[in-house]
Amino acid sequence: MTDLTFLALATVTVASAILALEARDLVYGAAALGITFLGMAGLFFLLDASYVGAFQIAVYIGAVVVLILFTVMLVGPQLGEPPLELRRLSLLTALLVALLLGTAGSLTSAAAFPGPDNCGGGCDLTRLGTTLINQYGVPLEFLSLVLAAAVIGALTLAKADRKG
Amino acid sequence: MPDPITQIIQLVTSTYFLEIVVFPGLISIAILGAFFTWFERKLTARVQLRIGPSYSSPAGGILQGFADIIKLLFKELIIPEGADRFFFIMSPVTALIIGAALLGLIPFAPGVQIANVEVGLPAFLAIVTLSPTLVLLAGWSANSKFPFIGGLRALFQQTAYEIPLWLSALGVVMITGTLNLTGIVQFQQNNGWLILPQALGALLFIVTSTAEMERLPFDLPEAESEIMMGWQAEYPGPLFMLVQGPAFIKLYAFAALFSTLYLGGYLGPAIIPPIVWFFLKTIVIIVAVMLFRSTFPRVRLDQLLRQGWTTLLTLSIVNIVIAYFIVVGVPAI
Repeated sequence: MTDLTFLALATVTVASAILALEARDLVYGAAALGITFLGMAGLFFLLDASYVGAFQIAVYIGAVVVLILFTVMLVGPQLGEPPLELRRLSLLTALLVALLLGTAGSLTSAAAFPGPDNCGGGCDLTRLGTTLINQYGVPLEFLSLVLAAAVIGALTLAKADRKG
Repeated sequence: MPDPITQIIQLVTSTYFLEIVVFPGLISIAILGAFFTWFERKLTARVQLRIGPSYSSPAGGILQGFADIIKLLFKELIIPEGADRFFFIMSPVTALIIGAALLGLIPFAPGVQIANVEVGLPAFLAIVTLSPTLVLLAGWSANSKFPFIGGLRALFQQTAYEIPLWLSALGVVMITGTLNLTGIVQFQQNNGWLILPQALGALLFIVTSTAEMERLPFDLPEAESEIMMGWQAEYPGPLFMLVQGPAFIKLYAFAALFSTLYLGGYLGPAIIPPIVWFFLKTIVIIVAVMLFRSTFPRVRLDQLLRQGWTTLLTLSIVNIVIAYFIVVGVPAI
């Protein structure tokens, strides 16, 4: 049952991610990005990380997709650039990314992540909160820059259009 | 191996199925939606010294909502030329699904809850954040001026109220120490309703959730006197019903969430059953929000943004400080 749900969610996530990159209409791209984030939230729920899932929806769809849509709407709902042709450079990039991800995947041994915390019905959120602040305070602050990145991206899109 | 008919009968008579389809699920939502359309029109009319809907039945036109549904269903489905058909149809349908999902998270009575999620409160607020995006997509897809302006207003409005809404609910979480809605109700069983220690939070919550529901005085995306129903302007009969439905479901869900967070949910003296208590509290909140509609004038967009980022945000941080002192205790100086 979980496998079927996982497969469905993964298919939706990957398919909408591809659509988000390839859609010619920017609004469709942004909506597909929202569906990608929803699929990822679903995957988090499947992993019993419902807290992360809820905030995935709130931050990524409630803020990031909204910012992107804002920009797309304000610069006018025209068609975006046609999809780039497959060049040698993009092939090389794909290869590099795959290599990087593969290396990272092989490096993450079981020792790096000491097994799933078995906390029964639901993980203790109080403990999660203290761990986040005490042990992972700095990474948390860096993660919170994701909205800044979204704002900068939105501004770049808006500015690039005004010049052209 | 049980034969399929027995299986179907078992499924239909199971509590889970009944909860989703009958109560608190789809059928009760539809009936309540039709009831609230009438109720709101009647209440507004009485406040303004009018009579309001009165023809549909002897009891003060109580069937008006159902009459409206039947009328809208028989209208022609016209999709404007140049509209983006996919988003035009999908947005109201998705909005309806979102509204129904909200009600699934509310504990109506002990055990009467479709999904008892561990993180019920953030899940509720996270699902709600999807709706302004859908409003924008609906407004954009109609390919017309007023719907588009309405959609953009919905997004601007979201940036104004979203943060105070989350922060005002945070006070409750700090005091109860749980994100689970049933847990919040159980806490109030032992410690009294949270409306007293969290009076400021409750006030902020009802103001920001009125903005979230796009109801007067914050109905900028619709604003019939400025932009002619805004993002809903191009919707034809049957789809217009789908557009109006989620608005009432959201009103009902937010009133239910308010009574869960601050008024003790289904708690009350055992003279009447818990579910009746729950509905009494919810209806009081709904009437209050409907009275906002008939008493306050609409704010302007810049006023809402300024108030959201100054007054509401400051007050919600003050509320968090109050909650901190309630949890930790006031230090002796």
